[in-house]
Amino acid sequence: MSRNDLDPVTLEILWTRLVSAVDEASAAFVRTSFSTLVREANDFAVVLTDKEGRSVAQSSMSIPSFIGTLPATVKHFIRHFPPETLAPGDVLITNDPWMGTGHIHDITVVMPIFRDGSIHGYAAVTSHMPDIGGRLRSSGTREIFEEGLQIPMLKLVRAGVVDDTVVAFISQNVRVPEQTMGDVWGEVAACRMLEGRLNELLDDSGLDLDRLSGEIRGRSEAAMRAAVAALPDGDYRYRLEHDGFEERIVIQNRVEIRGDRVHIDYTGTSEQLPRSVNTVPIYTFAYTAFGVKALLSPDIPNNEGSFLPISTSAPEGTILNPRYPAASGARGMIGHLLPVAFMAALADVLPDRVMAPGSANSSFTMAGEDEGRRYATANFLNAGQGAFADRDGLSVVSFPSNLGNTPIEVIEAGAPVRVLHRAVRPGSGGGGAHRGGDGLDFAFEFVGDTPAVCSFLMTRLKAAPPGLAGGDPGVVGRLTLNGTDIDPADHWILKKGDRVVMQTAGGGGYGKA
Amino acid sequence: MNAPASLPAAGTAPRLRIAVDIGGTFTDGIAEESGTGRIWVGKCLTTPADPGEGVSEVIAQLLDKMAADGERVEEVVHGTTLVTNTLIERRGAPTGLVVTKGTRDTLDIAREVRYDLYDLRLELPEPLVPGEARAEVGARMDRTGAEITPLDEAMVEAVADAIGAMGVSAVAVCLLHAYVNEAHEEALGKALAARFPDLAISLSSRVAREIREYERMSTTSANAYVQPLVRDYLNALGERIGGAGIAGLLRIMLSSGGFTSAEAAADTPILLLESGPAAGVISALNTGIEAGFDTILAFDMGGTTAKACVATGGAPDIAHTFEAARVKRFKKGSGLPILIPSIDLIEIGAGGGSIATIDALGLLKVGPRSAGSVPGPAAYGRGGEEATVTDADLVLGYLDANSFLGGEMSLRTDLAEAALGRLGARLGLSVTEVAAGIADIVNENMAAAARVHIAEKGLDPRAFTMVATGGAGPVHAVEVARRLRVRRLLCPIAAGAGSCLGLLAAPPRVDRAWSKPTLLEALDWDEVTAMLSGLRVDAETELTSASADLGAIAWSVLIEMRYAGQGSVISITLPYDEIASRPVAAMRESFEAAYRDLYGNTVPNARIEVVTWRLTGQSGVESRRFSWAEGRGGGAATPKAHREVYLPAERRFASAPVYDRYALPPGTRLDGPVILEERESTLVVPLTAAVEILPDLAVCVDFGEPA
Repeated sequence: MSRNDLDPVTLEILWTRLVSAVDEASAAFVRTSFSTLVREANDFAVVLTDKEGRSVAQSSMSIPSFIGTLPATVKHFIRHFPPETLAPGDVLITNDPWMGTGHIHDITVVMPIFRDGSIHGYAAVTSHMPDIGGRLRSSGTREIFEEGLQIPMLKLVRAGVVDDTVVAFISQNVRVPEQTMGDVWGEVAACRMLEGRLNELLDDSGLDLDRLSGEIRGRSEAAMRAAVAALPDGDYRYRLEHDGFEERIVIQNRVEIRGDRVHIDYTGTSEQLPRSVNTVPIYTFAYTAFGVKALLSPDIPNNEGSFLPISTSAPEGTILNPRYPAASGARGMIGHLLPVAFMAALADVLPDRVMAPGSANSSFTMAGEDEGRRYATANFLNAGQGAFADRDGLSVVSFPSNLGNTPIEVIEAGAPVRVLHRAVRPGSGGGGAHRGGDGLDFAFEFVGDTPAVCSFLMTRLKAAPPGLAGGDPGVVGRLTLNGTDIDPADHWILKKGDRVVMQTAGGGGYGKA
Repeated sequence: MNAPASLPAAGTAPRLRIAVDIGGTFTDGIAEESGTGRIWVGKCLTTPADPGEGVSEVIAQLLDKMAADGERVEEVVHGTTLVTNTLIERRGAPTGLVVTKGTRDTLDIAREVRYDLYDLRLELPEPLVPGEARAEVGARMDRTGAEITPLDEAMVEAVADAIGAMGVSAVAVCLLHAYVNEAHEEALGKALAARFPDLAISLSSRVAREIREYERMSTTSANAYVQPLVRDYLNALGERIGGAGIAGLLRIMLSSGGFTSAEAAADTPILLLESGPAAGVISALNTGIEAGFDTILAFDMGGTTAKACVATGGAPDIAHTFEAARVKRFKKGSGLPILIPSIDLIEIGAGGGSIATIDALGLLKVGPRSAGSVPGPAAYGRGGEEATVTDADLVLGYLDANSFLGGEMSLRTDLAEAALGRLGARLGLSVTEVAAGIADIVNENMAAAARVHIAEKGLDPRAFTMVATGGAGPVHAVEVARRLRVRRLLCPIAAGAGSCLGLLAAPPRVDRAWSKPTLLEALDWDEVTAMLSGLRVDAETELTSASADLGAIAWSVLIEMRYAGQGSVISITLPYDEIASRPVAAMRESFEAAYRDLYGNTVPNARIEVVTWRLTGQSGVESRRFSWAEGRGGGAATPKAHREVYLPAERRFASAPVYDRYALPPGTRLDGPVILEERESTLVVPLTAAVEILPDLAVCVDFGEPA
């Protein structure tokens, strides 16, 4: 028998085991998490990297942004804490948007995996926390300092000993310390589980992670290059507008296809704003790369190799490459436009595959006291998605993120609100040869005796999702309080009997009707 | 159902029980003689137009073989795939839905997530009830079950008028917070029943009393959707059985592995969703317990799908959510959520027909696409061009070209080799290397899925005894067992009719649930005890109708708890009688112990919340030993042949003896490598292991101490 030790069969088997190890760790994390965003919306990710921080395997269920950002975070940590400064039992922590996931609401935990005294790889988990202090998340915040606690790159655990100072600082600065720290310890437990599974696998196979990682990366990279190379060389552009504040925000891309590489440049995009919609480069890359992959090669696994042929750039000081201390809590509002803009740029190249623009998710966050107990709740609302050359767009579904709704009964159990309706918003999808999907119509009444602070992230209230190839734009969204339009960038105090209506936009149509 | 409540006069002849299972291809039946455990087997082709015809045929065969008349049959136990198939094929009744004002679109909106991140052209499951067959009602409860807007006469009238105008034959009622207070649903149900006597009515508070309106609405709609069909089917079946002169009861297998009366099954047919697979698991468990082991991994592998289920302490793990009729096979999230107690099975896209392909990265992949039976594996010679697991098994010597399905169908080795060769040429591997690779990969896929499943439950695979069933199960089980490091493997008798043995071995069981998320320290114990005793009275009525002996029923309460703020729950179980003592401390202790077991540590300062109470009544675990009534195991321990078999651990072929399994008498000991053939399957032991024929003719393969 001449099957060598990393032939197409052996590699497939070892890889299956690696992915199942990462999935075991994420299952354990989801079960222990206090965050509704993790449980209901998979707003987390687990990754295993090699010793250079290159991603080898990622959890199967996680949102697209983290697939791109988490390995980059590990590389930042390696630069900050070189291997000689790390010991077995160390655990690292940060929520720095530029190093992490683009906003401070996600805490990332990274653990070096030691074997025989040296580091073989890293386990990393990032997750949206139940609370991070500061003002409630809103697009109106002007600087990062308002957004909550900043955790620089620190050691949370040193050689197995917890740094109580770090824990005390975090606990003192968040609204629900037992939940936020509970989720951090859940992240640590998931890293440890991944370490155990990896060591078992390496013991069984006698293999070295570097070789395995190199082989997997090489094959993924080749497959992605082949997918890009199938496109005609050229520069393709698209200009997309977002509601903005005093004026519209412009996303201008230029997609450069050169052989087997694709570069997306964002020159011409709006300047950074004293609002929380700034999108740091790590996040700009993640969402652009997601669009490339979904359109060109959805079946290639996620790892370092599949992203190597893709690069992005944006001039410093723009909304897609902001300078510190830009606020970024609502970066999804801008980042979520990037995959859509990428597809629209290629509308003439791949007319039968692209999807017309739709609308990303909206949300509302509320905190207060009810029957003697503090609560903080965040809930997502999705919108209509764009049509294709051959079919209608999907109604009320999450894209490009994957954030589910919270059941009405669960919302009402957690906060003093009564949901009046949650309905499909008929006719909101843009017309065309194929119609865009419809948005959502959601209304609730505040029923608590103690007034609560409520903030909204609403998108596409002014700039409608455009159609493609002559299709009509979708209908814009709307936010009202007691029947009056209100500005989602402000914080609102809700009193008993107040009624809020949130309507999300419909997707763009495709082709002339 | 016209079954009398008393048992027929028995006379001196032993009484009989009959199990009938309707499969896609065959309808199988087994009759058991009470007391002796002797069994007879019957079989005929399934009659899809009127499945009852096959049932009559099989029962006639069995009575004929036993030279018995129907008087002696005390019960007929039945498992059915009718509910699953009705949902998959969308041929249920036109169904209406009544919901709280503002929630009419809940079935369309679902949870707003995509089950595949990268698939832009996602197909979503079509709701069972179309938009025009939904009516809203203005009555409203709050989260505590307090009435905010009462249900008045005019509302009831308007709903009844709307249902009348829809012309539906079934209706589901699902109102917000009905899991805490069912009053509005009950009142609507009563009014609708009075006005439309033939309408099948399903109330969410009865079908799935759990928080989360979309999932509860989906479950209740599915129940209503299948109800008219199931009711007619069970009535017809009852008549068939009566027509065969059988006066005994008809009992139906539930997804939870218990069984119930045909009447109760017709009320909540959605509980039969996994009736067939549950019977298979119960059968595997029975084999394990009979051999003295109660920590069991039931493993079944057929043509397209492999299934695995974990049982500890002799009882299968029960899950309380399930997904039916997935749009994309094996893709979690692409189906209709169903909240019912169901044996916790995982399904893997791996079977004899699974097709091997090369993916975009140049790696060999196996499944989940399957060649099915048409065209089937290349070796079937029915035009299949692609290499499958069965083709690999043939080339590796695991299957014999001439004794497949007892020799009824011969396999074409030349076609299998040609298909494997085409794949090998693209990978730079020989035919044998590709075949061994396919077997390796499909075995690893199944082991990986089982490993994650076992880990999610915080258990260690090395503690398990694996029981393998299904046509391809015994062929692959030894290698899957080795990868999981389980200690031993059992292969029960009658692999082809295994579900029937499960039907005969199943204990009576009944489940009820009640959700009301409340902090442990704030529980209203008067309410809890009142609710549980109400559920028990209701459950006892059902057991009585299934003629179970109430004295033999053990009652337990499974309590789902979590730290307030968490989403997932952890279950603890208490005997029913302990609830009266308001065991707060015991509940806290059990919860913290279970939490620590799973996650290493508890959460300091967090408050514990009780979410759902689940009452279960079940007769104690006892195994039944079955033995062939017609001579088996009477031969000598001599091989009928030798053939070359591939040994994966050594990566070479070696000669192995081949035995006719049912010629081997109990107590026979053999050493691997060895092959044991039976009509429906082949047990392949391609390594050194101790093989023994047990007293009930099950085969035990012992791997020794785990590595």
